[in-house]
Amino acid sequence: MEEQYAIEVSNVKKKFRIFYDKGNDLKERILFRKRNYYEDRWVLKGISFRVKKGEAVGLIGHNGCGKSTTLKLLTKILYPDEGEIKLSGRVSSLIELGAGFHPDMTGRENIYTNASIFGLTRKEIDTRLQEIIRFSELEEFIDNPVRTYSSGMYMRLAFSVAINVDANILLIDEILAVGDTNFQKKCFDKLREIKAHGTTIVIVSHALEQIEQICETSYWIENGLIKDSGTPKLVHDRYLKSMEEKRNQQLTIQHEEEQKPEEKPELPAFCEKTAIRMGTGAVWFTHAEMQNLQKEKQYIFRTGEQIRLILEYETETDGLQGNFGYGIFREDGLHCYGTNIFIETGKCIALQRKGRIEILFRNELLPAKYFLDIAVHSHDGIIFDDIRQVLTFAVTSEKQDIGVSRQETTFSWG
Amino acid sequence: MEIGKELYAYREMIFSLVRKDLRGRYKGSVLGFLWTFINPLFQLIVYTIAFSFILPSPIEKYYLHLFVALIPWIFFSSSLQGGANSIMAAKNLVSKIYFPREVIPIAYVTSCFVNMLLTFVIIFLVVMISGVGLNALAIATLPLIMITEYIMALGLALLFSAVTVFFRDMEHILSIITMAWIYLTPVLYPLDMITNETIRKLFYLNPMTAVIEAYRDVLYYARVPEMNTLLVSFLFGIIILIFGELVFSKLKKRFAEVL
Repeated sequence: MEEQYAIEVSNVKKKFRIFYDKGNDLKERILFRKRNYYEDRWVLKGISFRVKKGEAVGLIGHNGCGKSTTLKLLTKILYPDEGEIKLSGRVSSLIELGAGFHPDMTGRENIYTNASIFGLTRKEIDTRLQEIIRFSELEEFIDNPVRTYSSGMYMRLAFSVAINVDANILLIDEILAVGDTNFQKKCFDKLREIKAHGTTIVIVSHALEQIEQICETSYWIENGLIKDSGTPKLVHDRYLKSMEEKRNQQLTIQHEEEQKPEEKPELPAFCEKTAIRMGTGAVWFTHAEMQNLQKEKQYIFRTGEQIRLILEYETETDGLQGNFGYGIFREDGLHCYGTNIFIETGKCIALQRKGRIEILFRNELLPAKYFLDIAVHSHDGIIFDDIRQVLTFAVTSEKQDIGVSRQETTFSWG
Repeated sequence: MEIGKELYAYREMIFSLVRKDLRGRYKGSVLGFLWTFINPLFQLIVYTIAFSFILPSPIEKYYLHLFVALIPWIFFSSSLQGGANSIMAAKNLVSKIYFPREVIPIAYVTSCFVNMLLTFVIIFLVVMISGVGLNALAIATLPLIMITEYIMALGLALLFSAVTVFFRDMEHILSIITMAWIYLTPVLYPLDMITNETIRKLFYLNPMTAVIEAYRDVLYYARVPEMNTLLVSFLFGIIILIFGELVFSKLKKRFAEVL
C-alpha cells in the first residue's frame, strides 16, 4: 500500500446467504429437503476506493445499499468474499457503543472494560482516564454502577471511551445522535479536533449535512456499487435529486392505484373515490382536472409551478348565475387556500347548459400531499354542487425551505 | 504468529473479561467473593461425610483422593462445556466489534483456571490438615501439570467454540462426552482399581489420565509424578492447542455472519 493512504479497498465483493426457509435440525433437513434452498445475495458487487491519511470520507445511500456492510468489512467484523482491504494503523469503530458494559460495575470499571475491547492496554487507559471522564461530564457519577445511569449518561460514557481511543482510523456508523444537542455539538467538535490531528475518518450517515461539514469526499453507494463520488455537497445534491425522482415515481403509482374504480355510483370517474359530494344538483360538475402549463394532466407539481385547473359543468336550468370556487387542504386537514370568482372579480357568471371554467394559479405550497375541493354556488349562496377532495395532488421541491407555503425571499448584506 | 502479537496487544481485554467474570459471578450476593472459597469447602465437607459414613471407601482418606482430582477435573470440564458456548454467549460483542476472536475462549478458560487456582488455597489447607503434608519437590512440578491442563482445555475450547457457532448441537453432544469422560479418567477411583492390564493401558490414550494422576501424585501421595508421561501430555496439549487454533482461525471469519 502506498504510504499516503490509510485505507485501500480494491474490488471488494460480499455476499450473504439468504435461506428461504431455514430448516436447522435434522428432522427438518430430511423431511423438507427441498425447502432447504438458499440464495446468495451479493450485497457488495465490487467496491473500490482509497482514503488518504487524515482524510474524512462519508458513505451515503438508502437503507440496504451496502454502506453499513462496507463499514463492517473495514472493521474486520466481516470478511470480503472477493477483493482486498488494507488498513494501516489502529482502527477504532463507533459502531456499537458501550460494548461489554456490565450494569453492576461502576462507570470507572466499565471504562477499563470497554476501552480494553478497543485494544488498549491498562497503561494506555490510565493515561486517558481523566480525559474520558471529563469529556463524558460524569465526574459525580463515575463511581456509581452503570445501571443507575440514564440512557443519555450511558451513551455519553460509551462515546467518550470510543472517541478517546486515539485511533489512526475511526469508523463511525450513524451515531452522532448521542445525548442532548449540547453534547452532540461537543462530539462533533471533538471529531474535527481528532481529524485535525491526522486521524482518518469514515462516516456512514443519513445526516448529509454532517458529512458535508467534516468530509472531503462522499461515496454514494447504490445496489452494492459506488454510483457517484466527489465533493460531498455535489454528490448529495445528485443523490437527493435521484431520491426525489424515485419518490415521485412511487407517488404517481400510488396515485394511479388510488384512482382505480370501486367508486360509489354517485361519484363520476374524474373524482377521487374518497370524494364527498353535496349540493342541490341544479348544476353539476362533469369534469375536473389539474394540468401543467403545457396542458398535460399532472398530479405532482413543484413549488412555484403554475397550475391550470379545468372544471366542466352542465345544467338543465336556463338563466342561472353561478359562483365557482376552489379550496386546497393539506393532508393533515390544514386549510391552505381558497377563493372563488366572486372574491376575485366581484361578480358571478351567467351559466350555460354546458360550460368550462379555467382557473390558473401559481402554486406556492411546500412539499406535502394536498386535497382539492371544488364548488359552484348560486349568487346568494345556495350550493349547486360541492365536491370535497375531488382530486389529490402532491408538491415537491428541490429547496429545503419549510412551512406551509413559500414566501419569495431575498437576502442582502453589505 | 501474527495472532500472538495481536493477542498480546489485546491482553488487557483478556484480563478485564476475566476480572469481570470472576467478580460479576458473585456480585450482589452478601458474601460476594468469599463464595469462591465457600463453595469448594462445603463440597469437601459433603464428600467427607458421604464417603466416611454413608458409603465408606476402602481407600484411605478417600475424600482427599477424590477432591484433589475433582477440582482440576471441574476446571477441565467447565472449560470444555462453557468454553464451547463462549462465542455464542458473546454474540453481541462478536457481531458488533472487532477484536481477535480468540480473546473470548481464552478469557473464559482463564477465568475457570483462576477459579481453580483460588480453590487450591482450600486444597493446600486440607492437604496439610489431613496430615499428608507437602513435598516441596513435588509441589514444584505443579505449575507444569497445571499448564498442561490449561493448554489442553484451551485447545479444546478454541476448537469447540468455533464449531458450535456453525453446528449448535455440539453443545449438547459435549455435555454427553464430558459426562462419559469423567469415568474414563481416574477421577472418582484410582487407576489400579482396573485389574485388566490392557484396559489400563488404554486409559493412557486419554490425555487427561496422566494429568489427573499427576495431581494426585503431588497432593495425595506427596510424591513427584512420573515426568515422562507428564511431558508426553504436555506435548499432546500443544498439539491440541495448535489444532484448535487452526480450526478456529479458519472459522472465525464467518462468525459475525452466522450469529
